[in-house]
Amino acid sequence: MTFSHEMTGDRDGLPGRDQCPPDVDLHRVWLGVAAEVWCRRPGPVERLAGRALRSPGLARALVTTPSLLLGWIIASAVVLAAGALATLGTGAPFVAVFAPAVAAAGIAYAYGPGIDPAWELSQSMAVSYRMVLLVRVLAVFALNAALGLVASAASATAAAVTFGWLVPMTAVSALALAAATLTRSATIGAAAGLAAWLITVLSVHSAAGQLIPAVASSVLVAPYLAVAAACAAIAWFATRIPRGTP
Amino acid sequence: MNVEISDVTRRFGRNQAVAGVSLETGPGVFGLLGPNGAGKTTMLRMLATVIPPSSGRMRLLGRDPDGYGPRREIRRRLGYLPQNLGYFPGFTVAEFVEYFALLKEMPPGRVPQAVAAAVERVDLGSRARAKLRTLSGGMLRRAGIAQAIVNEPELLLLDEPTAGLDPEQRVAFRALLRGLGERATVVVSTHLVEDVGAACGEVALMDAGKIVFQGTPDELTARGEGTGAAGDAPLERGYSAVLAAARSARAAA
Repeated sequence: MTFSHEMTGDRDGLPGRDQCPPDVDLHRVWLGVAAEVWCRRPGPVERLAGRALRSPGLARALVTTPSLLLGWIIASAVVLAAGALATLGTGAPFVAVFAPAVAAAGIAYAYGPGIDPAWELSQSMAVSYRMVLLVRVLAVFALNAALGLVASAASATAAAVTFGWLVPMTAVSALALAAATLTRSATIGAAAGLAAWLITVLSVHSAAGQLIPAVASSVLVAPYLAVAAACAAIAWFATRIPRGTP
Repeated sequence: MNVEISDVTRRFGRNQAVAGVSLETGPGVFGLLGPNGAGKTTMLRMLATVIPPSSGRMRLLGRDPDGYGPRREIRRRLGYLPQNLGYFPGFTVAEFVEYFALLKEMPPGRVPQAVAAAVERVDLGSRARAKLRTLSGGMLRRAGIAQAIVNEPELLLLDEPTAGLDPEQRVAFRALLRGLGERATVVVSTHLVEDVGAACGEVALMDAGKIVFQGTPDELTARGEGTGAAGDAPLERGYSAVLAAARSARAAA
């Protein structure tokens, strides 16, 4: 039954109706065929994500929305590859210095009304947009960690460097996320994350005379984690549905 | 009553978009008329739980949207077509509708059949596997309507649904609306008076954030009789007369 059938009430106006036994609901049969043909069959990643997240909607949001498409994945891979090459050439873990900024930009640009075309619609859905966002964050971290492991392995400092920079990456990304959610601007979020990381690296450089302690010093792990927790709380607060205010 | 709102206001900074609106409505097609900037879209966004009211009370489908659990339940039973429908250009029509069916937490087993039915109802069956970026404005609008109705919503909110539709599609769409309104509450925001006259059992006219008229289309028509108000059709004259009276009263206050 289509627009025109709705209009005329002509439920039998489908091609071939006259060649069909009267007890066959051709419209229903067609809908069954269309349902089989039109809908997307979830791939293995989506099925796995659906089971892990207990939500087919979240899984679909994770694997299909544009913010997780090739653009930033390629950007991450390119920057990390460049960092790995620099590390191989100099023996210093430059991957770690670059990676947090990449993650910050990735997170910030995975969010916001200017980034998600269906932002308005997504806010009226039962699956909360905050959850979609958090799932995307998880995806960014997971992918960067995987790429980092591969890149770091090439420089023979795999585990230490990866764990070393995953923590600051979490902090900077959380800051970008918090700024993006508070300002509803992915650009401001990205700028905040990149600026914060630049300040951190330069501060460490001026104090220690080199860049590497920003990601290698165990003293900084606790502050990074504290910043990450605070920013995650801010992001959570900013993306809640607020009650009406007079 | 599927929609019960009492003295609801919504402010954006110093601008008051909705100013103390109260409304109750059950199943049927309810038209929300008014000029640009009257507050219709803000009203609909509040009903869609996209933004909360600044003050006042709301109950939708018998639930208070303030709480997370009830709000989620409302959203499962809600259909919403925003004024500016955002879409993912790389999705096909069917994928687009399916995506939102899943986000509405429909049981996954029911989704393919529901998607097919919704796409057929808006007459996009022949373009179901076409990418959204290849569709005309009217087809995109129909894809938006399909995602709104895919979950057979009990509360359907449509913001300017006939924008971009050709005359034949608009006539067909009004018939679809009447059908949906037999068991659901359908709130249609529009500035096209003829849509309201053809499809709505009840109408509210908004101006400057307030409801300045509520009644049947016939009652709105009656307001224009003998007033000399502008308009090509009786309902348009009623619309103009009510608006003129509301503005005069506001200017005098």
